[in-house]
Amino acid sequence: MRSSSKSLALLVAVLAVFGVVAAACGGSTSDSDAKPDSTYDYASLSGTLNGSGATFPKAFYEEAIAGFAGVAKGVTVNYNGTGSGQGKKDLAAGTSDWAGTDSLVADADKATFKGPFLYFPTVAAPITVSFNLSGVKSLNLSAATLARIFTGSVTTWNDPAISADNAGVTLPSTKITVAVRSDGSGTTSNFSKFLAAAAPEAFTLTAGDTVAWPSAQSAKGNAGVAQIVKATNGAIGYVDLSDAVASGLAFASIGNKDGKFVQPTLEGASAALAGATINADLTYSALNAAGADSYPITAGTYIIVYSSISNPTQASAIRGWINYVLTEAQTIAPEVDFAPLPTALRDKAIAQIASIQG
Amino acid sequence: MDITPGGSSGGDVASLLGVGPGRRADQLFHSVALVAGLFVLAILGLIAASTTHEAWPAFRSQGLSFVTSSTWIPAEGKFGALAFIYGTVLSSLLALLLAVPVSLGIALYANEAAPSRIRRPIIYVLDLLAAIPSVVYGLWGVIVLAPFLGPNVYSPINDAVGGWPVIGWFLNGSSGRSFMTAGIILAIMITPIVTSLSREVIATVPRAQREAAYAMGATRWEMIRLAVLPWGRGGIVGAIMLGLGRAMGETIAVALVIGSQAGQVTTHLFEAGDSMAAVIVNQFGEASGTHRAALVGLGVVLFVVTIIVNVSARSIVARFDRQAQGI
Amino acid sequence: MNELFVTTESGDLLLSDTTKRSRRIRNRLASIWMAGSVLVAVVPLALVIGYVLIKGVGQLTPDWFTKDLPAVTRRAGGGMGPAIVGTLLITAVAAGMAVPLGVLGAIYLHEYGGRGRLGRLIRFMADVMTGVPSIVMGLFVYTVWTIAHGLSAFGGALALACLMLPIIIRTTEEMLRLVPDELRQASYALGNRKWRTILTVVLPAAFGGITSGVMLAIARAAGETAPLVFTIGAARNLNLSIFNGPTTALSVQIFGNAQTPFEAAQARAWGAALTLVAIVFILTILARIVAARVARRHNA
Repeated sequence: MRSSSKSLALLVAVLAVFGVVAAACGGSTSDSDAKPDSTYDYASLSGTLNGSGATFPKAFYEEAIAGFAGVAKGVTVNYNGTGSGQGKKDLAAGTSDWAGTDSLVADADKATFKGPFLYFPTVAAPITVSFNLSGVKSLNLSAATLARIFTGSVTTWNDPAISADNAGVTLPSTKITVAVRSDGSGTTSNFSKFLAAAAPEAFTLTAGDTVAWPSAQSAKGNAGVAQIVKATNGAIGYVDLSDAVASGLAFASIGNKDGKFVQPTLEGASAALAGATINADLTYSALNAAGADSYPITAGTYIIVYSSISNPTQASAIRGWINYVLTEAQTIAPEVDFAPLPTALRDKAIAQIASIQG
Repeated sequence: MDITPGGSSGGDVASLLGVGPGRRADQLFHSVALVAGLFVLAILGLIAASTTHEAWPAFRSQGLSFVTSSTWIPAEGKFGALAFIYGTVLSSLLALLLAVPVSLGIALYANEAAPSRIRRPIIYVLDLLAAIPSVVYGLWGVIVLAPFLGPNVYSPINDAVGGWPVIGWFLNGSSGRSFMTAGIILAIMITPIVTSLSREVIATVPRAQREAAYAMGATRWEMIRLAVLPWGRGGIVGAIMLGLGRAMGETIAVALVIGSQAGQVTTHLFEAGDSMAAVIVNQFGEASGTHRAALVGLGVVLFVVTIIVNVSARSIVARFDRQAQGI
Repeated sequence: MNELFVTTESGDLLLSDTTKRSRRIRNRLASIWMAGSVLVAVVPLALVIGYVLIKGVGQLTPDWFTKDLPAVTRRAGGGMGPAIVGTLLITAVAAGMAVPLGVLGAIYLHEYGGRGRLGRLIRFMADVMTGVPSIVMGLFVYTVWTIAHGLSAFGGALALACLMLPIIIRTTEEMLRLVPDELRQASYALGNRKWRTILTVVLPAAFGGITSGVMLAIARAAGETAPLVFTIGAARNLNLSIFNGPTTALSVQIFGNAQTPFEAAQARAWGAALTLVAIVFILTILARIVAARVARRHNA
């Protein structure tokens, strides 16, 4: 009798160990594999969430909205791509429930908000330098050359500065048409901040949501810039990867901090994100990142919401929406050319959802 | 009390009825109609007052440099609208340059040369042109016309004559979205107005004048040159100016094809630029504070300029009308 | 006697002109110019309508009229239902405000104001108002209404009503002028008051012309974009409320989609353009038919 109970105990112990190991293995996640939060009760949520802001992540949010509508049938989410500047203003004025922005709220503007707010990082993506030049399929551009093009010092494609970056390639003498944003844009902010950090002598303008580009055609939204580039031979402009791919544009390889020319890919973006320092409020900068494989113009984007929401149903809806964006929607991100967040950052963001009170 | 027949103001016979039932209803109706009429004055006054009030902070902070400087950098609080005023004027003048010969030609053809069968269809075609909304012209312009003109028309011209003196000052640049494309779209849009007004003017030329010219053995063109054009000169000028006013106020079609390039005060017609109305519609959505006031200020400048052009046009036409009627 | 423009000096010009041949050549060139101008005007019209038709007709499925705007703007799908309803609703509300005001205003101008100073001032200001750029109307309504009351269909309708008002006043006044005074006098002779005369005799007589003018003003307003951009906001779903919440319209949709490089979005723009042009053309043609019937009755 004693030996059978001893062997039973041993069996139970082995099974228990097996069970624990199996659970641990089955539950582990890698960076690109977000576990769907099937336990979250989306179906009970209700309300309308009006959002506005950055066009950089617009394609991603639209997909997330479509997916969210499938699981949270009682909630309608809207997103208006008006640019980061307008998105922040709308939230401050209270005319929207959530804002999409690639750039942070300036200290001077914090007082215009109705209360404290929270940053939720959602996705990141490369900002491509897209170009349209007949006969040229690939291009290398160092940060200094890029800065000179956008500040108007380099005006034709066969300028020595561009040729220096592209040994062995014959470039036509076409005039360069620079395409920029006409609206207040987080993409502009990140692009100009990169140029200021990587090529300070060449980039003499002030970085920010709006930049006084000296001689450039402008358009609204990333899509607008993509349209100028697509329709004009000799054009160059900064466009988020998703819109650039969808428009069929060619991208330049940009020289990073380590001196390598890197294409704007999700791998390059993830490499840049890997080394970024995360601030306490979950903001970060992946621009001009170190690392041979890092794409130097990688930008993150955020959703901003107030931390205290008066209507409890609305608060639940917002918590549910952000949770969806940080869990299920992360798997959709690569399909529309966005890089999901690194696990550590994602987990911190999910934990911050509980700070939304209401 | 005026009991002469004719003339509809004053009620004439009706006022003879003096007191009695229905008189109050008459007074009430008169008041209602008067108030409705006054609405026009009220709205115009409100437009002038509210927009100027909104724009005042910008005018005050910029002073005269609002219209003399071409540096427009909202982030630094600099609002110099010269380049946009220039863009509005340039694209509108280009529109006139292209539209006036065509409009006059059509007006003369419809009234003088066309077989009567074609006259009605021409008028229908013009009506259709006028009915198409400006945003549709803009859509066609930005998707079809601008991408076509840049590489196929402007670039060859630029390569050929861009370096020449005088002509190279203007026929320079190669952007599909440019002052010239905006001018072309505007020309298409103002042709119906200028044509129909010119037609009305030309139709009032008395037969006596025409027959006198023919009696002297004039060809049709000489008859036009001697009888029709001098007679209709005033009215035609008025029609052209009304077209100019319309072109200057046009927003959407221009915003889509002008290229939105700031600071361009250049004679190069094939380069991108910006116009006042286009800047307003592009930047207003997210502007605040002085930036917004400056954009409303652009609206005020546009308002004033188009009113001056329109009022001058109407007074010229009115003077022509009086002359035509022999007053 | 009117001034004679054709004088003996003109005759001298004709005779002193070099040869008969050069006069004929000049006449021929002028004829080419005149006929050619018509062709030059027809070409862009044909191109624009052609492109709108060809590129837009593929979009017009039953879904187009009933479905909401797609969540993902880059891909095909969804419809333009909210925009079509928005255009019709905003234009209808605008007409509801502008037509009574405009007709009454014209009645004041013609039946009461006449050549008095106030009448001339109002007429002059109405003419001035027709020249106000539509974007200034949008800025005006934004300043006095939207800031205080938010984005809504009503704001857009206000701006469009301001655009329509002077047009309706002028065309209605023209039509009232065409009503023969004998009709009015006959009515007075029967003992009718002025207000009764206007409502029961003058307006019905001018009805056809007024309707035609109103329809043209509505057609013009339906196609406007600039006044709506700042006042109605943007919406993906149907919003039937006039005062609450942002909505969308065909013209605004065209403007937005025209500024993207995506095939599907541009296709939606062409479809919306076709729908808008169809609405405007129908109104314009109806207006012409009504006007023609009035003219026939007038001449008969």
